[in-house]
Amino acid sequence: MTSLRYSLAALALIGATQSAVAADNLDIIVPFAAGGATDIVARSFEPTFSQQLGVTSVVRNVAGASATVGTAEVANSEGNPNIIGYEPAGALTIQPSLKKLPYGPDSFTYICRTVSNPMFLMVSKSSDITSFKQLVKESQDQPFLYGSSGPGTLPHLAMAATVVNSDLKAEHIPYSGSGPAMNALAGNEIQIMADTETILENYDLRPLAVFAGHRLEGYDDVPTIEELGLPELDFAVWQGVVAPKGISDERAQQYADACKATVESDKFKTFADKAKAGIAYLGPDDFKAFVEKRFEANKQVLKDAGLTQ
Amino acid sequence: MDVILAAIGDAFTWQALLAIVIGTWAGIIIGGLPGLGSVVGLTIFLPFTFGMDVITSMALLIGVYCGSVYGGSITAILINTPGTPQSAATVFDGYPMTQQGRVDEALGWATFASFFGGVLSCVLLIFCAPQLAKFAVNFGSIEVFALVCLAMLCIVGISRGSLLKGLVCGMMGFFFSMVGSDPITGADRFTFGTYALSSGLDLIPVVVGAFALSEVFVRFSARDEEATTIPEARLRFPSWREIGRRLIELVRGSFIGSFVGALPGTGAAAAAFISYAAAQKLSPRRANLGKGEPDGIIASESSNNAVTGSAFIPTLALGIPGDVVTAMMMGAMVIHGITPGVRLMADQAQTVYALFVVLIIVNVAMLILSKPSIGLFRYLFKLPLGFVMAGIVMFSFIGAVSVRGNPLDLVVAALTGILAYVLRRGGYPLAPLVIGMVLGPALESSLRRGLLISRGDFFSFFTHSGIATTLFVLIALFLIWTVAAGVLEWRAKVAARREASSAQPVSE
Repeated sequence: MTSLRYSLAALALIGATQSAVAADNLDIIVPFAAGGATDIVARSFEPTFSQQLGVTSVVRNVAGASATVGTAEVANSEGNPNIIGYEPAGALTIQPSLKKLPYGPDSFTYICRTVSNPMFLMVSKSSDITSFKQLVKESQDQPFLYGSSGPGTLPHLAMAATVVNSDLKAEHIPYSGSGPAMNALAGNEIQIMADTETILENYDLRPLAVFAGHRLEGYDDVPTIEELGLPELDFAVWQGVVAPKGISDERAQQYADACKATVESDKFKTFADKAKAGIAYLGPDDFKAFVEKRFEANKQVLKDAGLTQ
Repeated sequence: MDVILAAIGDAFTWQALLAIVIGTWAGIIIGGLPGLGSVVGLTIFLPFTFGMDVITSMALLIGVYCGSVYGGSITAILINTPGTPQSAATVFDGYPMTQQGRVDEALGWATFASFFGGVLSCVLLIFCAPQLAKFAVNFGSIEVFALVCLAMLCIVGISRGSLLKGLVCGMMGFFFSMVGSDPITGADRFTFGTYALSSGLDLIPVVVGAFALSEVFVRFSARDEEATTIPEARLRFPSWREIGRRLIELVRGSFIGSFVGALPGTGAAAAAFISYAAAQKLSPRRANLGKGEPDGIIASESSNNAVTGSAFIPTLALGIPGDVVTAMMMGAMVIHGITPGVRLMADQAQTVYALFVVLIIVNVAMLILSKPSIGLFRYLFKLPLGFVMAGIVMFSFIGAVSVRGNPLDLVVAALTGILAYVLRRGGYPLAPLVIGMVLGPALESSLRRGLLISRGDFFSFFTHSGIATTLFVLIALFLIWTVAAGVLEWRAKVAARREASSAQPVSE
């Protein structure tokens, strides 16, 4: 019994110190585990951003359920001026159409978009397919398999939209991330994958098309999806900063100014260059309009592909 | 050759060596504290590396990683609670040895096996990385399914005495792993309409509850003071003769670990279970396994530390991280301008070789630092039992919540602790629960992906590839062997009883 009393006392002591430390810090929620692609950008964004705001901030990883758990935490902190989320595209513009979530696209105060990288449609370099036309033709006898980093992710949506809008015959196999999907592509378990330039550069891949409105610098011979006779499909992996609803306009303006200054800082630019993250700043109003547009477009793709509930 | 010499020069700077010592030591301590494991350790140290150069920062992180995998075995042996899930298989023989008063021997074997596995996998990494990577690519979903099935058979081995109870726990773990998002369709399942459950049950809170918290409950409820005291931690390295006698066990465990580590999506916990299952069939002292046999510790610890080296094979050679830990390492490399991928070996050979050298130094550092680390645990565990137990509860909860910052995980850890206590009281083995939880997601998603690829034809799995066929044949042999051994044992028992009853016909 003595030992039980000891441990209760010790636990109570520990609890007390913890609550004494908590003060007016800014919480930056990253809805992925530490060390992931989004987390790395967020952690490079944080120092300059806090300096601009003049606060101490803490990057908090709240991972799970395709980044919706962390995102929901931001949405549920209505009126709290000390929490923001560093958000990926999927949690804001895809997941709300896929399942019942405690938030939607109108649950946030939009601050800024930071980076954006368009996606490519790619096959393995070891395959003999060199054009989208050839890909479509060869898929007629035996449908191809395309991989993704999970159900309802951008690589999934980009390919689902391509299949719906063209004669390409291909079926979806989801993996638990881009890495495992690349392993499957190398072993010819799947044949097609849509992902960003980082993936394209790091593995033996051949780009057949780019999901953007215009050809990209450095990839001048890769046609856009529209040039291939499909409707314009715009799929990019982007990240942005959101705050909960109900914060003061003044606070929102402070965030927006700090974000703009951070994205334009040399420190962040150097990092983005190294990590191959394309800086693509959008201010509060543009970002809001962008998210709404992407939300509707993705909803349509999900509907066409029969993925909405 | 010049590249290798230059790489050795890069690794033997005072900054790198200091980083190795700090990282490895911190790793051992973090790994030893229940609940805090490799991921938490790396999360703590990752921000410190932002200002360092690439070799120093990788030295720190590799030290933390390797140290934490070894550290988990210390508490597994001392207090029946694996510090990390990777060391869950060390408990089977480690704790019985402690109860028999052979703590020093158990810790010695765990330390030496960890060192041996780590170094052997480094050597393999240096000489065979490209070949192993190429081979790993042939492991598609169907091959992974076959391998995971083989690993699942480990449940049969460790629930000796009551297979049914073992299977019940295994299925329970498997079911726990299914809560949350469906890996193929993304739909929520088994969440009972609760949004909080849609992120699923994480492994760490369940392991913490099943081992650490239930152990605390068991110790509190024990009336007998003797049973609750923690023996003094001591370390005695095995002699060369003993090592020679068990060399084959060390080599087998290390090879299994190296190989499993090179496959994406498996990891050290799975490797340890597979290796333990192999020891149960192949060790000459297999009859004693589970009752305090060093071979069990060797099987578990040599294989889980061999994973630390070989997990870098897919990461460095293909840019494909095998598990969460290597994914974090890869993230750290990207920050420092090294992009793992097919061209890394050609473009940055010197950096890659320097990493290999660092890995070997880390393993040596681990061997040297094992003694002071265990000394520290000796002091910690000398505190009044109540403080020790309170500390375990505290670290368990910190570990449970720090993995993904989800408060639900605290509830999960607490409820699993209570459930595990009840199960232990009923004589149910807990390890199958963890095995089900570790292997469940891999089993399910590889099976369902395989079915998508074969267009719904399960029987084509058996003939999908040479590797798959081989693995399925091994599974069949394992099953036949187990059943045959069971029948023989049963017949021997019946015969013995008949003899006994015919010898004394009138008694009773």
